[in-house]
Amino acid sequence: MTSPLTSVALFHLGPVPITTGVVVAWVIMAVLVIGSILVTRHLSLIPSASQAVFELIVDTVDGQIRDTMRVEPGPYRSFIGTLFVFIFVSNWSSLVPGVEPPTAHLETDAALALIVFVAVIWFGIRAGGVRGYLATFAFPNPVMIPLNFIESLTRTFSLLVRLFGNVMSGVFVIGIVLSLAGLLVPIPLMALDLLTGAVQAYIFAVLAMVFIAGTVSEGQPAPDTSKQRTPP
Amino acid sequence: MTIDWATVAIQTVNVLILIWLLGRFFWRPVAAMIEQRRVTAQQGLAEAAAKRDQATAALAEIERTRAGFAQERDAILAAAHDAAEQARATRMEAAEKEAAALEAAAKAAMAREKVEADKAWADRASRLAVDIAGRLAVRLDGPAVRGIFLDWLLDAIRALPEPARQAVTADGVTLEAISATELDPADQDRYRTLIGEAFGAHPPITFTVNPALIAGLELHGPHFALSNSWQADLTRILAELSHDNRL
Repeated sequence: MTSPLTSVALFHLGPVPITTGVVVAWVIMAVLVIGSILVTRHLSLIPSASQAVFELIVDTVDGQIRDTMRVEPGPYRSFIGTLFVFIFVSNWSSLVPGVEPPTAHLETDAALALIVFVAVIWFGIRAGGVRGYLATFAFPNPVMIPLNFIESLTRTFSLLVRLFGNVMSGVFVIGIVLSLAGLLVPIPLMALDLLTGAVQAYIFAVLAMVFIAGTVSEGQPAPDTSKQRTPP
Repeated sequence: MTIDWATVAIQTVNVLILIWLLGRFFWRPVAAMIEQRRVTAQQGLAEAAAKRDQATAALAEIERTRAGFAQERDAILAAAHDAAEQARATRMEAAEKEAAALEAAAKAAMAREKVEADKAWADRASRLAVDIAGRLAVRLDGPAVRGIFLDWLLDAIRALPEPARQAVTADGVTLEAISATELDPADQDRYRTLIGEAFGAHPPITFTVNPALIAGLELHGPHFALSNSWQADLTRILAELSHDNRL
């Protein structure tokens, strides 16, 4: 068993090493994209059972965005939904024998956290402009600028560490148990790992929504509603 | 523990591409379908609401029409009631007139029947009286009565015009003298003589008996008759009474 803390390069594209996490991510991407194309190829007003399931997923994501961000879900649906689906499928890819979830590697989680960090900036600037976005650091007063700046970094780091720690620990524990007692014993832990993976996907998506919503709402020109500061 | 920044970059690009692809092939189409269904459902609801409003309006119109029907029905019933009342009054009046006419006719018929009955009873009483008188007159058939009737017969012959008396006795006509009882030959000769003297001639006379005469002496010829008896008198009286009763 290889350490989950290290990434094994399967091959190199020039100077760039292609690790197993990247390959699994590509497979997951291919599955998701091809599946999406197949699902949305025959959409109709009278939905089939599968279409109803996928519409339920979209509607649930929209509902979460509305409940969490208090905005219409259109501009954020693809970003939040894809984050959730990718992390969810990545976490559950450990069900496939011999496959390590991409999220069990630090690089994938770092990429996801980096994307959320950039997305917060992007959506903040789009909602209130550069000045409005920068003004969010001075909320509730300019004294808070250093703290808010540090918070924006630390909460991104916390995203990274939370997801990596939970998924990696699950894989690590299951690997240890498998090496000790390979028959039946790891099953409860695998089930717990699945639950953890689903919860972590949900938490990551919700926190991304909370970060974006905080920036967007604080960057609005007439912030009449009560402000919510999110924990790092 | 190290971090491979190249892998971070690759995974970042991967996730960004995945966000774009899923947005292109999954989130937007499915969301668009949901939105399309929502719009369609809203349109259906709007159309249903419009049709419901139309149905409500149609129902109200039907209610108004039904109310009109009810009013028209009441008017028709009232008109029919009036017509029936008028017809009943007309028929009642006609029936009263008919009843009055029938009553009048019945009264007239009863009056006629009463008159007829009165006449019948009067006629019957007349016949009874004549019958009684005839029965009483039977007891009066004696020589005195026969003498009186002979005198009355002779007076009647004498009262005849002369040409009539001559016509009766002309050409040897035989006269028939009828009496209620048998006359003995002496009386027959005496009667024959007296009658001949009254006529101024002496035609042959035969004597016959007819008890129906009650009492009296009648003289008949081929073209001549002198009624002179209680029967003739009673018949004449009965005829007169009957005539009086019919007036």
